[in-house]
Amino acid sequence: MLATEFLSPSAAPSAAPLSEAALVERLIAGDDAAFALLISQYHSLLVTVARAIIGEAFADDVVQDSWLAIYQHIANFEGRASLKTWMIKIVSNQAKTRLRREARQVSLEQLDGDSPGSFLEQGNPYLSDHRFKPNGHWQGNIPHWHQEAPEALLEERQLKTCIQKTLAQLPPKQKAAFILRDIEQLGFDEICQHLDISAANVRVLVHRARLALMHVIDRYQETGQC
Amino acid sequence: MLSCKQVAQVASDYLEQNTPGKLNWQIRLHLLMCANCRRFMRHLRITTQVANQIAATQEPHPDPQVLLAQIKQRAKTKP
Repeated sequence: MLATEFLSPSAAPSAAPLSEAALVERLIAGDDAAFALLISQYHSLLVTVARAIIGEAFADDVVQDSWLAIYQHIANFEGRASLKTWMIKIVSNQAKTRLRREARQVSLEQLDGDSPGSFLEQGNPYLSDHRFKPNGHWQGNIPHWHQEAPEALLEERQLKTCIQKTLAQLPPKQKAAFILRDIEQLGFDEICQHLDISAANVRVLVHRARLALMHVIDRYQETGQC
Repeated sequence: MLSCKQVAQVASDYLEQNTPGKLNWQIRLHLLMCANCRRFMRHLRITTQVANQIAATQEPHPDPQVLLAQIKQRAKTKP
């Protein structure tokens, strides 16, 4: 339900937010304002998913095609899954179809960052070998955070900027896995299907992304900067 | 007994309650004895809570009205 996400485009600010069913009804009826709001709400997410599957070069095209498909087929939305899930499925299918066509031109190695499943977590700042003694225990102490309350951390604008900047720079699949799991709260099985990777890989990608963000908070706590 | 490295590698699974019974107990035993790993786990939990609250970085997106006009135009030519 989009109760907290969506306001009727023509309603007064104090009016009750639209339910997903009401929104879909407006979309099917051809309400342009409703569709424009849908675009502004979900375009970023669709681009993230497309990039994770097909990479930067073709992602925008894929998303444009996906919006066309959503526009043309909204009347077929049956409500078995959420509207968001339905749209993500469209973009992931479009991306996979395009990937089959353009496979030679797409460099898939860069989508993951490191190969997921690598036990030694090469390149992850938090799990690289130099952080551990030969017996596997921490080489040094985990840094103290002078501020641990999430509410207080969220009020620090600079930190928020640092986190958003880091998120934007994550390898596409890692970023998509993290966003779909930790922000969009999708289940692992669902993410597997959308990104066409195993559940184990999704978990590794999400873990790496979290560690990358934790490293940002470490640095911020220590220096006050990104 | 698990090493700190092993605990760090499965920390997200542990927080998501996705570690099988035996491994779960091994992690808990390690955490009882290792202040560093307790702090690591706590920080990872906080990171997840903070990131949950931060909207995904908004990719620059075209003006929705402009994009909608393009979609509608394409829809006319591609039934």
